Amino acid sequence: MYETIAFYTFAISTTILFLITVMSKNVLYAMTALASGMVMISGFFFLLGADFLGVVQLIVYVGAVMALYGFAMMFFDATRDIKEKHQNPALVFLLGGLMALMFVVIFSAPIIGDNVQALYPIVEGVGNAQAVGMVLFTKYLVPFEVAALMLLVAMIAGIILAGKKMDYSLTTSEAADEEINVEEKLQADIEREKGEA
Amino acid sequence: MSLEQFKNRNVGTQNYVKLDLDHSPTTGWCQFKQVVKRTFKPELFVGLGVTFREMVNALFRGKMHTTQYPFEKLPISPRYRAIHDMLRLLESGNYRCIGCGLCEKICISDCISMETKYDENQRKEVSEYTINFGRCIFCGYCAEVCPELAIVHGGRYENASEQRASFSLFEDMLTPIDQLNLQQEYAGFGAISPNADENVKSTPLAY
Amino acid sequence: MVSTIFLTATALPEVIWIGVIIKAVLILAVIAAIAGFGTYIERKILAFMQRRLGPQHVGPFGLLQLAADGIKLFTKEDIIPQHANKFIFSIAPVITAATAFIALAAVPVFPDFTIPFTDILVPSIASDINVGILFVLGMMAAGLYGPLLAGMSQGNKWGIIGSARTAIQFLSYEVVTGLSVLAPIMMVGSLSFVDFNDYQTDGLWLVVYQPIAFVLFLIAGFAETNRTPFDLLEHEAEIISGYVTEYSGMRWGLFFIGEYANMITIGVIASIVFLGGYNDFLFIPGWIMIIGKIAFSFFFMLWVRAAWPHVRPDQLMWLCWKVLMPLAVINVLITGLVIMI
Ligand code: SF4
Ligand code: SF4
Repeated sequence: MYETIAFYTFAISTTILFLITVMSKNVLYAMTALASGMVMISGFFFLLGADFLGVVQLIVYVGAVMALYGFAMMFFDATRDIKEKHQNPALVFLLGGLMALMFVVIFSAPIIGDNVQALYPIVEGVGNAQAVGMVLFTKYLVPFEVAALMLLVAMIAGIILAGKKMDYSLTTSEAADEEINVEEKLQADIEREKGEA
Repeated sequence: MSLEQFKNRNVGTQNYVKLDLDHSPTTGWCQFKQVVKRTFKPELFVGLGVTFREMVNALFRGKMHTTQYPFEKLPISPRYRAIHDMLRLLESGNYRCIGCGLCEKICISDCISMETKYDENQRKEVSEYTINFGRCIFCGYCAEVCPELAIVHGGRYENASEQRASFSLFEDMLTPIDQLNLQQEYAGFGAISPNADENVKSTPLAY
Repeated sequence: MVSTIFLTATALPEVIWIGVIIKAVLILAVIAAIAGFGTYIERKILAFMQRRLGPQHVGPFGLLQLAADGIKLFTKEDIIPQHANKFIFSIAPVITAATAFIALAAVPVFPDFTIPFTDILVPSIASDINVGILFVLGMMAAGLYGPLLAGMSQGNKWGIIGSARTAIQFLSYEVVTGLSVLAPIMMVGSLSFVDFNDYQTDGLWLVVYQPIAFVLFLIAGFAETNRTPFDLLEHEAEIISGYVTEYSGMRWGLFFIGEYANMITIGVIASIVFLGGYNDFLFIPGWIMIIGKIAFSFFFMLWVRAAWPHVRPDQLMWLCWKVLMPLAVINVLITGLVIMI
């Protein structure tokens, strides 16, 4: 009973929020709807008893969307609407609609065929985190490690891209040191001149 | 802070403590050394210690520094130029002002206005004397020019009042007659310097 | 589902809804009151450390200053700037306050106790989800959306700078927070606060085994709650008030209730994960211990605020990525090695 209510609440709010994300012309609305939609999705995990995944969803997407906000902040004026360029709205509508329909069919087919089984059902006495860990480090070990490697590559690439000017410090006062050096030199010059004169 | 220190304006003669700042590191090794030094120097905890010591000082050793202002006031320098006082003669209790009008004349913002008349002894009597404190710039010229040390600057610096008239009338500025014994000679602008006696030269009479 | 929620509450009197409600009310009422009262304590302690008196005139020792401030905040005009995004601007403070209290739902404050003369068991946590620590950290992270949205929606340059700083602070310090609690999590082998507490019942406090993780967690906690060494978001000398520049009245107050609630949460996490939780200590009962620990960590935050200067954003990121994160990773590695051997 409660779970049904909760499910429909989450379902409706997720749908509405993601619709806002797509439809809104205001960056701020779109991003905020995206973030709260992600939070709502974590609600489903909690409903299914997958607390760990729910929390991971929360933490990961909160951080990820925060990075998106950073881009939004740099590229757009957050308080104004954005003029979007639609060249062929009918085509976009058609393709988008078809895709949505396809997804519905793909996901509802097994449900209709009554063919949904949990690959790794929750076992009493084994915590969520342990269950995830077991699956990750046995069956999906290779994809997991490959993903880790990819992330590492991306990180190194990012550091190299951003790190060209890393040796040059904007903050430690090299300029001030230089000034001091110049002053010392001047002082020395003056003294030498005095000595010569 | 004693009055002497308070009045000391000789900037540069005080005991300044020079900070011993080192230059920014130039080589990588120096930077590393700096990081290590800064990491393991317990300066942050020294800071925590200082604040905690001050808290103990304030709470338990009676070193609280707050002046609860409207209830207690800090002493101000005698040279401070606040709302004027009109002084009285100590012997007779009469006001010192002789109505010469010099202060009215010199006031650069033209805010003193006075009226005088002759009394029955053919002496000048001050019948009206007001200072418009909305215009006064507290320059102190009036106190300096007064030949009788009659108008001086007092210590009343709380200038908020319901009406300007509250402290601009002669009677308000005049020392109350019952507090005559408490009347202080003014040490500030225009007053006789403390070492005036040394500066007095005997008049050369032997022409 | 319900059974998984109270999986660990195996004590004899059954946990019934009334106990949970009592706990929820306890958290809301007490912590909200303390969060408000925290402003008074902060002003007093900062004042003492600077040899001032602090609030003095409203009530005895200025104790009712809180009421005066509350009346002021409630009756102040609620201004929404003309070019602000009004909807987001209005909900941003609510996000901060709400997430702070949601986070408190999964935090144990007192040990389990039964109300005298009844069978009502008040559990230590309102809701003991078995990933408690991650949930709390995640909620506190979500709380940073408050400052971010507030800054971006108000159409003010200082606000934008404030929210940009929120973003970098968040992205940097979330990593350190996670990695620093990872080592204790590995030792305990659970994400539930109750397990953390029970782990330390007989043994030493975890801070003895994990001093580095403790220090890292404290530093990251300061960043998470925007406390002084890292209060870049609203540093007055640099960016007016940052993300709260345009706020007034109770909306402004909500940010601060959220901030103080978060300070308490960090204090609770630190005391439960690292400082022995609500276990009895020698002859001192557990609830006094936990109150003492939370109070000390709150005091420590104020103490640091009185003593230390704040850092620049670039220093913050330098510290985070080049010092704290490597340290945290090394700490996790060493912990893992020791556990394996
Ligand atoms: S202090 Fe200056 S401005 Fe004021 S009354 Fe005296 S002379 Fe005039
Ligand atoms: S200068 Fe002195 S004596 Fe002359 S009128 Fe002014 S107050 Fe009176």
